[in-house]
Formats: sequence, C-alpha cells, structure tokens
Amino acid sequence: MPRQTIVIDPVTRIEGHSKISIHLDEEGNVEEAYFHVTQFRGFEKFCEGRPFSEMPSLMARICGICPVSHLIASAKACDAILAVRIPPNAVRLRRILNLAQILQSHALSFFYLSSPDLLLGMDSDPAKRNIFGVMESHPGVARDGIRLRQFGQQIIERLAGKRIHPSWVVPGGVNEPLGAAHRDRILEELPEAVGIAQRTLDWFKVEMEKFREEIRSFANFPTMFMGLAGADGALDHYDGKLRFVNAAGQIVADGIEPADYAAHIAEMAHPWTYLKTSFYKPLGYPEGIYRVGPLARLNICDTVDTPLAAQEWAEFRELDRGPALSSFYFHYARLIELLYALEKMGQLLNAPDVLDTHVRARASANNSEGVGVSEAPRGTLIHHYKVDRDGLITWANLIIATGHNNAAMNRGVLQVARHFIHGNKLNEGLLNRVEAVIRAFDPCLSCSTHADGRLALEVELLSHDGEVLDRCLTP
Amino acid sequence: MPHTLILAYGNPLRGDDGIGPEAGERLRSIIQGPDVEIRTMHQLTPELMEPISRAARVIFIDACEGSVPGEISERGIEPSTAGMRFTHHATAEALLAGARALYGRAAEATMLTVAGAEFSLGSGLSPAVAHSLDGVVAAAMRLLDR
Repeated sequence: MPRQTIVIDPVTRIEGHSKISIHLDEEGNVEEAYFHVTQFRGFEKFCEGRPFSEMPSLMARICGICPVSHLIASAKACDAILAVRIPPNAVRLRRILNLAQILQSHALSFFYLSSPDLLLGMDSDPAKRNIFGVMESHPGVARDGIRLRQFGQQIIERLAGKRIHPSWVVPGGVNEPLGAAHRDRILEELPEAVGIAQRTLDWFKVEMEKFREEIRSFANFPTMFMGLAGADGALDHYDGKLRFVNAAGQIVADGIEPADYAAHIAEMAHPWTYLKTSFYKPLGYPEGIYRVGPLARLNICDTVDTPLAAQEWAEFRELDRGPALSSFYFHYARLIELLYALEKMGQLLNAPDVLDTHVRARASANNSEGVGVSEAPRGTLIHHYKVDRDGLITWANLIIATGHNNAAMNRGVLQVARHFIHGNKLNEGLLNRVEAVIRAFDPCLSCSTHADGRLALEVELLSHDGEVLDRCLTP
Repeated sequence: MPHTLILAYGNPLRGDDGIGPEAGERLRSIIQGPDVEIRTMHQLTPELMEPISRAARVIFIDACEGSVPGEISERGIEPSTAGMRFTHHATAEALLAGARALYGRAAEATMLTVAGAEFSLGSGLSPAVAHSLDGVVAAAMRLLDR
C-alpha cells in the first residue's frame, strides 16, 4: 500500500482556523501528524509606530474570547515603560478582572466546546455533539455552564464597563475605582457560582473513569511545564516569577524575572504552520518542549491559597507521582481553576481597601523597553515592547499560550492518531478524538497568530507521493 | 416583570453589519422606562437564553444580505436548532429553542433585518443602509406600540 495522508479540515470547537494532516506509511500505520494553523494577521508588525499608551486597547483586539488577558499583559508591559509602581488597589482590581476572564473562558472551553464529547460520547452523532445536544440530554449541566460564563462576563462588565474589549485597564493602573454596589452584587452572587463549580468537579471526577483510554493517549508524555509561580510558589495568574518543572516534578529553572524571559524561551517557525513554536532555550528543540495553561499551572505550583481549590489541588496531585502528564487532565485542571478563581475573587473583593479610589499612577515613558507577563486562561502570556524617545512602538513581540503548547499539541495529535487510526479508512469518532486532543489544550489561534477567528478543521489522507486519498470536512 | 427585550447585534467594524447596534443605540436614546430593555452586541451568544426566557417579547435587529440595500424586513421567528453547530455564536431561533429547553419558555419574537450593501472591514454604514436607520427604528417602535 502506498504511503497516505489523512487531513482533518477544519478542526472544530476551538478558537480559530486550522487543519490536521496525518501521514500513513506503506503498511497503513501513522507515521507523522501535523497541526497546521492556516491563518495569519501579524499584530506585532502593524502596531509599530503607534503610541505605547494605545497598546492595551489595540492588543485587546487580538481576541474576542480573552481580550482581558491581552489587556492586562499589555498594560503590564506599559507599566514597565512608565517605570511606575502601580497602586496596590489597581493591582487588586486587575487581579479580579483577570480571574473573571479566566472564569468565563474556562466555562466556555469546558461547557460549550468540550462537554459534548464528555457527556454525549466521542463516538456520538456529530449532528448532536454540540451544546444544543447537551441542552437536550443534560439541561442542568448546560444551565450551569451558561450561568458560570454569564457570571464571569458580568463581573468584567461591572468592573470594566463592557464585556468585550473594555478599555478600563490602562498603563499605570485602571481608570475607575470599583463601586460598593458592584462589589456587593458580585459577592452576593458568588456562592451560587461556587456551588456550580463544586458540583461540576464532583461530577467530572466520576465521569473521568469513562475516559481511561483517552487519558492514556491524549498527549500523555513527558514534557516540562511552565507558568508563573507567586509568593511561596502559590498558584498565581497575575504576578510572580516564571518557573519550569520537568516531567519528574523537579524544578529546572525558578525565579525567572518576566523581563528575562528571552534568556530561557526561544521561538522557531515551521514551514507547515503560521503558529510559532516556543521551547526552553537551554535544552533546545525538541528536548525543550514544555506545556503551559491550567494543567501546567497546577503542576508547577507548590500551594493553592484558597481553601476549597486547595483540597481539589491536593487530590489532583495524587493522580501521579510527579506532574499529571496526560493532557486530558487539562479539563480537570480547568475546573479546579474555576473554583479557585471564584474563591480568590471573593478574597480580593472582601479586602478592606478594595474600594480605594487611588487606582492609577501617571508618568511619561521612562524606559525604552517593557515586558508584561500574566497567566491567561490558556497559559502564560508575554508582551514585550520597545519604544523610541517619543514613546512610539518600534518593536513588539508577543508569545501566546498556544505557541508555548504548539510542540506538545503536535506530538499529541501524533500520539492520538497512532493510537486510534489504522489503515486508510476514516471513522468520524476516531477523527473526533484527534480533534479532541487539540480541544483539551483549548488553543486560541486568533491569539497565537493574531488572525481572524473562523472555526474550521479538515483531515486529509495523502499517499506517499502526495495524492489525496480521502478527506474529511467537519460538519 | 414582563417586558420587551431588544437585541440589536452586528459588528460595527464590518460596514453595514453595524446597523443593528446603531439602531439599538438610537432606540436607547428614545425609549425610557423599565418595560423595554435594549442590549447591543457583536453577536448572539447562549448567555442570552436566560434573559430571553424572562422577557414577554423579544425584538432582534440585525443586518442581512439582500438584493436591495437598505430594504427592511420583518418576520416572526420560532424556536429552532436546525443546522446549528454552535461554538461561539448562535442564531436567534436557536436562542429561543435554548430558552425554552433550559428555562421553560421562549418569548414571542420578531426579527427586523436591514439588507446591507457592504460588509468588508471598516466602520460606517453605506448610504443606502444609513438611510434606512430611521425606518428600522420606526419599525421597532411600531412593534413596541402593538
């Protein structure tokens, strides 16, 4: 039999446009697999010449799902250019906003995009394997998902004025303090959301037993993990130092100042995708592959400083002797982070100074360069800018979570394909598993390539001489 | 309390697709009082199912493709998930279906559309669609008076 290639195009229920190609050898066994990101926008280039103070608002336009994450990382890079220490309550309010963003994005990923696979089955009718199918079969879960996302968005709106592309976070802080009425309303609604997060976790931990094969085969291999570690190594999504942990759980590098990221992280381009691949510089590529995001954050931290999430984290850490290696556990980690985000917002909103009106420091550009790092829903987000004497951007580099995860996603697609695909006949349920491993990472291709956000995936089966033998377009 | 919910949607950075939010803002400047709630947005999302279930009536305002730019159409719509593969956005019919499935009721709903001429990148309405702004606002006001 000639060598062949299977192409999945478009990949569905992810943020952005991509395809997967799976190459078979002469015996019909999977030889290689690629996750191709087929879109490009180039935000880094067209922001050159703009005043740095515009960057948070410009960068927020990269994504309609996580604009707040870009807003925060960008504002932090601008804080560094201003060379100011922003007021403590501005930090607090930015933290709350970032957690609300994580809450709404995780709810979207878990309930809207992945729960159809988990509740209806990987092999279920693809016409019903979507959130409307979940509404019919599990209306309570669907209501919970909608409520959590709605709650996260409402918090963003209450703090920042609008749900998508708010301009509230600015270089030096935020432009309005929090009002008592908004604080009280959020605190009033928090217990309901915590209850939803807890019952979803209880349900999912039982449900995971049905997915042993997926746990074994969904990007389950040794890599390093990277993320921000806060004070005392605590889980932190806003501040802290970068930490790399290896597959055995040993700390490889710690206490890395965000501004020094370039000494530890390098990027490379591949001819088959617009998505750059990041790797740990001292080890090179591919030895330096690492993962970021909820799974990585729970693998690299030493502690979780909210009581309910801390209990869940302790249980999570019992999954394996070292870090949890299967990317199927991204879902589990996402749910624990949902709970954490809710508890942490409660702590921050109950702080005595949360209504303090001193929320912005003002200055002109005092540094010619600034780096801002935060934890976005999908992982570590790095914004790095250089400015001229007039404060105009001369150079920008953005490293997005999906780029950090690119190598692991590709390796994961190969692993799933090898596990589930044999011969040249395509089966929709098997192809869905190939997509589902990507979905577990919750990639955002609009963020990572700064391209327009259509959804799509195509799988192609190609012979060794390039002939398309079979093609599957997702419905 | 029973009320009318107006959902005016579209992307103002895609030319005539911005007619929905533009009409919504115009209505907001005209209508006072608690009986009418106006929301403007880029696209319809599942979070709207719950407020739709609480409303007595929903008016959707959107741009559409059509052969006569600026032409205003009005039609009643029913709950339906036909052809939906929702990931990030939904149709008005699907939201009604979701409201009924999850929250027990779907409001009576009307769709007002304005045929657009230009949907490429850029802000501002084409002359024909801009000319229809008063008309679609008047159509929404007539619906409110019924």
